[in-house]
Amino acid sequence: MHILFVDDERDFLELMEKRMMLRGIPAATASNGDEALQRLEAAMQDGKPFDAVVLDVRMPGADGLEVLRRIKERAPQLPVILLTGHASMGVAMQGLDLGAYDYMLKPIGINELIIKLNEATRMAA
Amino acid sequence: MSLWTRFCRWCRREEIPDSAQLAREEAVKAAVRRRCEGFRRLLSANKRALQAISSMEELLLGQRVFGMEEVRGISTRATAAVFQMVRELQVLSGNAWPTLPTALADITARMEARLAHPVAPPQGPLVMDVQDLRLDHAPLAGGKMASLGDVAAHVGLPVPDGFVVTVAGYERLMTYGGLRDELERRMQAADSEKLDDLLELSSALQRCILAAPLPPELLTAIETSVAALCARHGPDLLLALRSSAVGEDAAGLSFAGQYRSELQVPPAEAVQVWKEIIASKYGLTALTYRRQHGLPDHALPMAVGVLAMVQARAGGVAYSRDPMAGPDSPGQVVINAVQGLPCAVVDGSQTPHCYRYSRSQPPVLEEVLPGAGRPPLEEAQGRRLARMALALETWYAAPQDVEWALGEDGQLVVLQSRPMLQRTNQQDTQRGAALAALPQLAQGGIAVSPGLAVGPAVVVRREADMLAFPDGGILVVERALPRWAPLLARAAGLVSENGGVAGHLASVAREYRLPALFSLPNACSLLAGKGQITLDAEGQRILAGEAPLPDGQERGADSPAHPLLAGSPVYQCLEDVARFVTPLHLLDPASPHFAPEHCQSLHDITRFCHEKAAGLLCGGPEELGGRMGKQLKAGAKLQYWVLDMGGGYLGSVSGPVVELSQIASLPMLALWEGLTAVPWAGPPQADAGSFMCAVLESAMNPALENTTASTLAERNFCIIDADYLLLQARYGYHFSTLECRIAAEQHQNFVSFQFKGGAADLGRRSARAVLLAGLLEEHGFRAEARQDALFAVAEGFTASQSLQKVMLLGYLLLHSRQTDILMRDSARVQQLRQEWTDRMAALADGWPHVQARLCQRVGAASTVTASQASGDGKATPPQSVSCM
Repeated sequence: MHILFVDDERDFLELMEKRMMLRGIPAATASNGDEALQRLEAAMQDGKPFDAVVLDVRMPGADGLEVLRRIKERAPQLPVILLTGHASMGVAMQGLDLGAYDYMLKPIGINELIIKLNEATRMAA
Repeated sequence: MSLWTRFCRWCRREEIPDSAQLAREEAVKAAVRRRCEGFRRLLSANKRALQAISSMEELLLGQRVFGMEEVRGISTRATAAVFQMVRELQVLSGNAWPTLPTALADITARMEARLAHPVAPPQGPLVMDVQDLRLDHAPLAGGKMASLGDVAAHVGLPVPDGFVVTVAGYERLMTYGGLRDELERRMQAADSEKLDDLLELSSALQRCILAAPLPPELLTAIETSVAALCARHGPDLLLALRSSAVGEDAAGLSFAGQYRSELQVPPAEAVQVWKEIIASKYGLTALTYRRQHGLPDHALPMAVGVLAMVQARAGGVAYSRDPMAGPDSPGQVVINAVQGLPCAVVDGSQTPHCYRYSRSQPPVLEEVLPGAGRPPLEEAQGRRLARMALALETWYAAPQDVEWALGEDGQLVVLQSRPMLQRTNQQDTQRGAALAALPQLAQGGIAVSPGLAVGPAVVVRREADMLAFPDGGILVVERALPRWAPLLARAAGLVSENGGVAGHLASVAREYRLPALFSLPNACSLLAGKGQITLDAEGQRILAGEAPLPDGQERGADSPAHPLLAGSPVYQCLEDVARFVTPLHLLDPASPHFAPEHCQSLHDITRFCHEKAAGLLCGGPEELGGRMGKQLKAGAKLQYWVLDMGGGYLGSVSGPVVELSQIASLPMLALWEGLTAVPWAGPPQADAGSFMCAVLESAMNPALENTTASTLAERNFCIIDADYLLLQARYGYHFSTLECRIAAEQHQNFVSFQFKGGAADLGRRSARAVLLAGLLEEHGFRAEARQDALFAVAEGFTASQSLQKVMLLGYLLLHSRQTDILMRDSARVQQLRQEWTDRMAALADGWPHVQARLCQRVGAASTVTASQASGDGKATPPQSVSCM
């Protein structure tokens, strides 16, 4: 399993990267939508595509929903989990409507997230 | 088809299909698998939806305090889960209920309308002079400063000169450069339960504010007003900056001492100190208090009074009526006084002198309780103060809590007057024989909040000790400082070596209805390491051991008569939103009203989706007929339907029934071992009272209705594959969901268990959930009981350990049924706990043999590799290595 975390909070990214590595799950990070799309593209070209994306909703520049839309245009089968600190019912439903696998709220337990990622990648397989 | 399968079919003299038949069969299998996966996702979303509904019901009971973020978070979780259920049902059914998404949209739109909080930006000047303030300025100047202007204008009492930086000024800061967005983002992302995370959050929020730039027009306004104050009072002027948060007196919350005030501030530092006070809104104490009291951050903007400092000879707090007296008691005016500034009274750092005056005119001194140091008040000054307190009570038509100072010039100045929290209901502490039997550890002190508490005595001296403070402990401190307030939500009682009834901590204890005893000499040394104690606040004594709590005050029992936050804005919002979340109106699937158009809540939609999906799985499209749910047979046909996602059966199974011997799913077999390990002795024998209680609950609780036709959702389902089980079952009156996955990677293994319901009253059901949580924790689960719901998870164990836990759950599932009705009988509870503990230990010991048998049986059907078992040591016998 190879995961991409997209969030504008660098502390959060570093923490997730470290925690995933400790569990033997390689993770890459991107701090905004454009960087995320570039990484996805590069990974696909290298023949090592990501298995899932964990995407923050509220980010400067292109917000999470916009990034989700663009990811789904490029890779419709790639599972995307929205993970946000801002609970919003409207955004949750929009995100799920756009094809997000799930909408989760921070703070989240690492094991809970891994279970969700496993489930999402299994479904996509 | 593999050669082996062909060989088996040949042996069984079954027809060997041609390639077209094979392709069709594979297509059907794939369709079955997709539908099972869809159903599994629907059940998973169902579990999350019910968890969210359960959390909301818990908030509604009002036994704990909560914030707006929590209401919004739960609403979002519930909505996202129900949305997913609707989506899966649409796929499973081929959009058989096209109006269902509309029904959901209608409900969520109503919820959103209530959750949205358009805050009208407060209109008004950035600063205002105290002399211009009246009570109706409270939304702009905060209640504290508005009442100060009012006291001077209407009651004619002296108050300090000064001005207030209004809420408009505060809003200007918050919107300048996106400061508010940043604060909100950080607050929502933080874990509100863990104290160390809150410490980090608090520090980060305060740093954000202190680093934020000040809008130029605000800076000018504050500096101009400070200059005017200096011009009136001369060059020696020092300032007192006092917080005056809007809404802090809402719903009977006094918000005592949670925000910072700064005294003796040089005028040149006024702006910086103003920012520090704004930052103190996010100090640990205030942040925790606000979150725990469910006070939404946006509804509590902060004004700050900038006042000329009163150089006080004495000061303190006067209550126009004794706060410990009941509302019907004639009461007394109670004055707490210390030498010097009054803050020593309110922060609990000094034991004050206490003067009690009659409420007559003129007030008569009836009692003096000496405190530390020389007497700070002369009799005439005390009488004058008592008169002032009574005058304020008359003007505001409510008992008042008055902070006062006696200036060097002998003038009494009112620093603050606010409504007093009063004891509203006498708690029946039922002291008697049970208490008399316990040995006494300490006697004395002042009861600052009445009641009886039982728990372990925990001495807290440093901030670091706070992190280890257990839920339900009795907090023992040297000094009654406001910084201990965050612990009060978790404490069962409070004991302090100093402090009096007027301190902030005492006010907070009363708000929490927490029994509290102050000024008990040497409490820390007397109670350290004493284990379980009983605090009898009104009896002013501490007893060793555990007194039985009076009826109706049992921890984890039914809700208190009045929710803690009843009437607060956040509770009102919760009640409004919950109307669209928690009620269940769709009870009878056979009724014509069991339709999307009649769904009025998220719970209704959850029920509808679950019921219809279960129906689809048992029937389903023609071409899949008979391939979906199969009834389990172990000797006789059982009320379990099994759905195989692939690899869950040994070989192919045709027809509507599957024999237990054909099951290859290790988690399901482990569960079955637990369910059948010890025969169930039948319903527990209960006394007549317990039995009647269960009968009554059955009659009154619609969720227990079992006479309705075709409640497919209440069938017991096992969705399986070789290494996976999702069980949804109803045993007696409780509902359970158990999910287990074992995988090649150990960190992917998990067992999750959810359990809710029962036949007895909520108190007993909750007690059972607590008992089961404790047992599961002893076997490595992370378990949490919320009311009568139990949530337990075990992750990252080896496959063998995970399966062993599933077996233990199987045992508990069967044997805990209907035991909730016994939960009032402590001897039976103890007996049950012991019996379950022993049985589970024996089952755990016998697991290696069970595992060997299971592995032998399923052979290579499990995909879990041998490497899984390597960390398991003795739990994995050699013969099982082939499958685990």
